[in-house]
Amino acid sequence: MMSDRKIKLQIKDMTKKYDNGDGVEHINLDVYEGEIVTFLGPSGCGKSTILRTIGGFLDVTSGDITIDGKSIVALPPEKRPTAMVFQSYNLWPHMTIYENLAFGLKLRKVPKKTIDEDIKKMLALVSMSGSEKKYPGQLSGGQQQRIAIARSLLLKPSLLLLDEPFSALDAKIRQQMREELKKIQSDLGITVIFVTHDQEEAMALSHCIVVMNKGKFDQIGTPAEIYDNPQTLHVASFIGEMNFIKQANGTIAVRPEDIVVEKGAGKGDLDATVRTIMLMGHYVSLTVQHGDDVVKCFIDRDISGQLKENDAVSLKIGKHTTFPNT
Amino acid sequence: MSKRLKQNLAAYGMVIPAFLVVMLTVTYPIISAVIQSFQDEKTGAFTLDNYAYFFTEPAQLKNLLFTLFVVFVTVAIAIVVAYLLALYLRFTKSKIAKTIGTLYLVPRFVPAMCAVYAMITIIRDSGLINRIGLLFGMDIKLGMMYHASGIITMNLWFNIPFAAMMITAGLGAIPDSIIEGARDVGAGKFKTFTSMILPLSIKDVIIAATFVFMTNVGSFTTPYLMGGNSPKMLGIALFDQFNKYLAYNRSAALSVIMFLICSVSAGVYIYTNLKEQDWEKQ
Repeated sequence: MMSDRKIKLQIKDMTKKYDNGDGVEHINLDVYEGEIVTFLGPSGCGKSTILRTIGGFLDVTSGDITIDGKSIVALPPEKRPTAMVFQSYNLWPHMTIYENLAFGLKLRKVPKKTIDEDIKKMLALVSMSGSEKKYPGQLSGGQQQRIAIARSLLLKPSLLLLDEPFSALDAKIRQQMREELKKIQSDLGITVIFVTHDQEEAMALSHCIVVMNKGKFDQIGTPAEIYDNPQTLHVASFIGEMNFIKQANGTIAVRPEDIVVEKGAGKGDLDATVRTIMLMGHYVSLTVQHGDDVVKCFIDRDISGQLKENDAVSLKIGKHTTFPNT
Repeated sequence: MSKRLKQNLAAYGMVIPAFLVVMLTVTYPIISAVIQSFQDEKTGAFTLDNYAYFFTEPAQLKNLLFTLFVVFVTVAIAIVVAYLLALYLRFTKSKIAKTIGTLYLVPRFVPAMCAVYAMITIIRDSGLINRIGLLFGMDIKLGMMYHASGIITMNLWFNIPFAAMMITAGLGAIPDSIIEGARDVGAGKFKTFTSMILPLSIKDVIIAATFVFMTNVGSFTTPYLMGGNSPKMLGIALFDQFNKYLAYNRSAALSVIMFLICSVSAGVYIYTNLKEQDWEKQ
């Protein structure tokens, strides 16, 4: 089924080196039409660099980038079929919301009547109807970012690029914006490339996640693949919560929810003593000491009720990955 | 004594010395000059003659128009050149741009007298340019001394760095993402300039222009050393009235005229600074 889909964006052996030697090397990636692909990694890993080379704000050192099979590396940003939403709300402060939205359409010589209709529809789509006459400074961060997304979508880009668009918003609005973005994306069927350092955001939004570290791709896969089968220690530690338990024959990486805790020693794979018990709501976060390692486990409230600090427990290790000791 | 009263007294106590100095050295002379400008030299009676003199006497009228000409040309060229320089410094990230960015303020640190004399040795008819010309068998006489072009050239030396500094600060406040956003939706370089950069920096350009205007209306050193006998810049004309002819009432009138010319530009400055664009209101 994967092979039937059309490739939207292709990055071929692309290298971008900065003067100081930082950058990304030999990047290869296929992005299929209608997908949300997320570049995920810590700051400085090169994820924004790749996005900016696609948008045309950075020249590539070597290699090629194609959209719908056509090379775009020689084109300036204004000639590329991409639209970018930036981390900072980059609405133009001296223009009203209407003017912000109409600017790109006017450049394309779209008739005024069509512009008005499109803007009305788009503002409804991002739940910002009636804000045409306001200035960006009069809107909240979340509202400004909706307008920024609307402005990009109005130009019907072949590819929408989002550079940590929600990172300046507070947690609740961020979550809401994610849901809205996902809905808009599936309604319009556009292809989206999303850059974030927030693994939760990446998991929630993406069809495909590219985990990056130090200018390289660590792993490419669906959120489930990345979460269940991390291929490197970095991916395992970066995505979700993960325990690393050192054994003679390797390091076991196991998620807190994949450990079964039982009261009393000698009943499972490992023995440990209880350090802390924290009620998180409908579940309990328990930390236990096993040798030098502190292991976190998520357990049900009925088991935690039987436990107190310094109790001996046994742990059963469920789904896990073993990495060789380095 | 209440705490509030104490605080108020302390605050007034700190302001009063500065206030008295301003009253004594600025406000009093201004008021007395304005009064003097309306008084007859001999009788002390009210008269408008002191003002009429500068607008009816052909030589004086010429001085006034000459000054306005020099100042407007200075402002126009200084602002255009400074804006281009500031744009270059803001948007070019080369080593050359960095070097220029560090060095362009150096002329501000050269004492005015030294700078003027240095310029004279270059542009006068027996100066550096003439001598270089002679090496190639050409007798170049620029004729810039005692002429508006010499004064304007010198004014540009002083004012371009200053204006560029103010405009650069304004351009520096425009985030890259605003420009990238415009490019992204399809605006070319020129359109990005006219729709984004110009409207977002015009305030600083106008403020720089008012400063250049004001400092040049009353300029003295440059026209004194480089200017001709007629027409003269108003600063020199005032010097003549006060120091040579000892015509204090006319001096006072000319001072008020110069003040009024400057206050037009001060008005523009205050208006530009205070006027909040719609988009600047929260």
